[in-house]
Amino acid sequence: MSTALLISIISTAVVYAATVLYAAVGEIFSQRAGVMNLGLEGIMLMGAVSGYMVAVYQQNLFLAMCVVILVGAALGLVFSFLTVTMQADQTVCGMAMLTFGTGLSGFLGKSVAGVNADLAFEPIPIPVLSRIPVLGPSLFSQNILVYLIYLIIPLSMIYIYKTRAGMILRALGENPAALDSAGYNVYALRYAYVIFGSIMTAVGGAVVSLAYTNFWSDGMTSGKGWIAVALVVFSAWNPLTATFGAMLFGAISIIGIDVQTLFPSVPSQVFAALPYIATIIVLIFTTGNFGGRRSSAPAALTIPYDREKR
Amino acid sequence: MKKKLISVCLAALLACAALAGCASETESDAQEQAAAEEQAEEAPAEEEAAPEEETAAEETAAEETAAEETAAEETAPAETAAAGLNMIGEDKMAQMPAEGTDFSNFKIGEMESYYINDGGWCQANHESIVAAMKELGIPEENLILLENVDDYNQAASQTAAEELVNEGCNLILACSTGYASFLPEIAAAHPEVMFAQWGNKVDNMIGYEIRSYEGMFLAGYASELLSQETNPELGFSASANEFSVRTAINAYALGAKYANPEATVRVASADTWYDIDKETQCAQSLIDAGIKYMGMEASSPAIPETCEKNGAFVVGYHNDMSALAPNAVFVSHMWNFAPIFKNIMINAAEGTATANDFYYWGGDCSKLSDFAAFVPEEVVTQVNDLKAKIESGEVKVFGGEIKDNEGNVLVAEGEVMPDEDIIFQNFFVEGVSTSWKAAE
Repeated sequence: MSTALLISIISTAVVYAATVLYAAVGEIFSQRAGVMNLGLEGIMLMGAVSGYMVAVYQQNLFLAMCVVILVGAALGLVFSFLTVTMQADQTVCGMAMLTFGTGLSGFLGKSVAGVNADLAFEPIPIPVLSRIPVLGPSLFSQNILVYLIYLIIPLSMIYIYKTRAGMILRALGENPAALDSAGYNVYALRYAYVIFGSIMTAVGGAVVSLAYTNFWSDGMTSGKGWIAVALVVFSAWNPLTATFGAMLFGAISIIGIDVQTLFPSVPSQVFAALPYIATIIVLIFTTGNFGGRRSSAPAALTIPYDREKR
Repeated sequence: MKKKLISVCLAALLACAALAGCASETESDAQEQAAAEEQAEEAPAEEEAAPEEETAAEETAAEETAAEETAAEETAPAETAAAGLNMIGEDKMAQMPAEGTDFSNFKIGEMESYYINDGGWCQANHESIVAAMKELGIPEENLILLENVDDYNQAASQTAAEELVNEGCNLILACSTGYASFLPEIAAAHPEVMFAQWGNKVDNMIGYEIRSYEGMFLAGYASELLSQETNPELGFSASANEFSVRTAINAYALGAKYANPEATVRVASADTWYDIDKETQCAQSLIDAGIKYMGMEASSPAIPETCEKNGAFVVGYHNDMSALAPNAVFVSHMWNFAPIFKNIMINAAEGTATANDFYYWGGDCSKLSDFAAFVPEEVVTQVNDLKAKIESGEVKVFGGEIKDNEGNVLVAEGEVMPDEDIIFQNFFVEGVSTSWKAAE
């Protein structure tokens, strides 16, 4: 395996991981707060299309990201209103978000489909670090959104496991009634985390249309939102584990194509099956019941909080 | 604690075993194939006695191609030819409507499986319809367009077709091969309406296809002319293993070999019709292998995009893609249905069209876009000369001698491959390296 090939695989895996991780980290926060949002794919598409539209019409990436954040927040607000205030079924609302986002993004994106924005997050090599062989060009010659996720992962780990706010977040998903009696506003907290999760997801979509590729096409995230949902469960609601999962999945799903051209005698379907074999193995390790370990799912996940019910 | 450790170790062992099994299967697969190749040289007929330990993936692939074949056989033009296929020749391309033909009340229904600005198939279809109508002076409001008529959703598609009939359409253009499974019934119920269906000829409907290999042949020729001095090997980013895709790859390779007999084509396949990640990586892996020029048969703009980023060049597909990646797309292969649609519209309006009509046109229908400004003038001239030779019949794209990539002679010297073999290609020509297997 040549160095160029290795660099190409790692660097594509990193970018792939970044697109999925924004959504996955957002969903980890949302689910840790007790709200499961299955509409990630729809929100990602909305983020992707809104960012790309602003990039095409305004030629301004900063503005594009601001709009993406607003769109994410708006969708998160709608979702939390439905699931937290109205206490609607989270699975059904998630599906509604999915269809709504997919449909609306296709409708809005009609005018920019096939239009070249000529504007994208270009890779910025980090001085010194980018000169490390193999790792330099693959990890430290990326765009700013990828660097941002390098920061978000450790920060979210510290937040969830080492801060008081993180402890409250975990309690929110485990036993909201206890938090309520301790004087915290369960509804407000859930609103905040769901909106945060939705913003992260929308940004993940924008990574697809503005950094990873540079165009808009209907349904372009092609299932990344679902992979993010799966990663949350894989990782046992832990951002660091999710990172490894995303990297692994990214590397394995693209490695097949590189290996194809190296070994044309092996049917390409063999390589196409690799990600699923990896998925099963990862599933065994993360969710398997080894020696009576209990599932790490937040106890109050998908259960709407109702003060009247005690 | 001990128990937990043991179970983790066990699971790890299991996983390793699964992986090792997979790896050895892949290896044995390669060996089997090598063995099969040797056997094939001696006794090609025995090839079907496949070893038992075929991988599951290969089995599914075989099943898929088998299903594809049955589907193809059901509607193959060769079969319907016996039932009185009325081939409309390319000489009708210049046909104009008879004096006094009135199109003012001629209504056309259009069914697209996706949106007309998809930057691909549907856009090419729609633009062709609009161009043909304009040429004939049919008012725009006479076109009733139904978009996103999902051909996998039969109930919705049937309703859409009925709707077009109710709107009083005289001609309904069904621009996806997926409608073929149920439209013939509706067409039979409404003999006053002409239906036309892309793809294989089916009952009660006009059929049309394009000799897209002519354009791909020219594209391969142009690519090799540009690439041969630096690297005679070309690339090809392909979507799924289906006969139309195989045709595109083969025509591209034959065109390249026409320019330079030493030319080869390396195929990277996404194995899916639409996946941005995989398409990007297809182009990237070809570029990493030192390839500068490539063809494509895929739906998203990811491939031109990747070439643009890496300073490589690509032949656009479906439509003129130069606006998307101006420094990478040096020419595009375009679907131009306008001449066919125009002829269908004339015949339908004049009442001379029959449901047995079948179009299989090349020439202007399978055309290349204008070359990018950076392409040398002499290359453009050479391509145009070759185009003229194809049109005059001097050069036959699938004229012998053609060998497949295992060395078997497919078409003998002096012979030409029959049309149905061209449409349902089941081979890869010499010089193509791919991990796909031609279906048995």
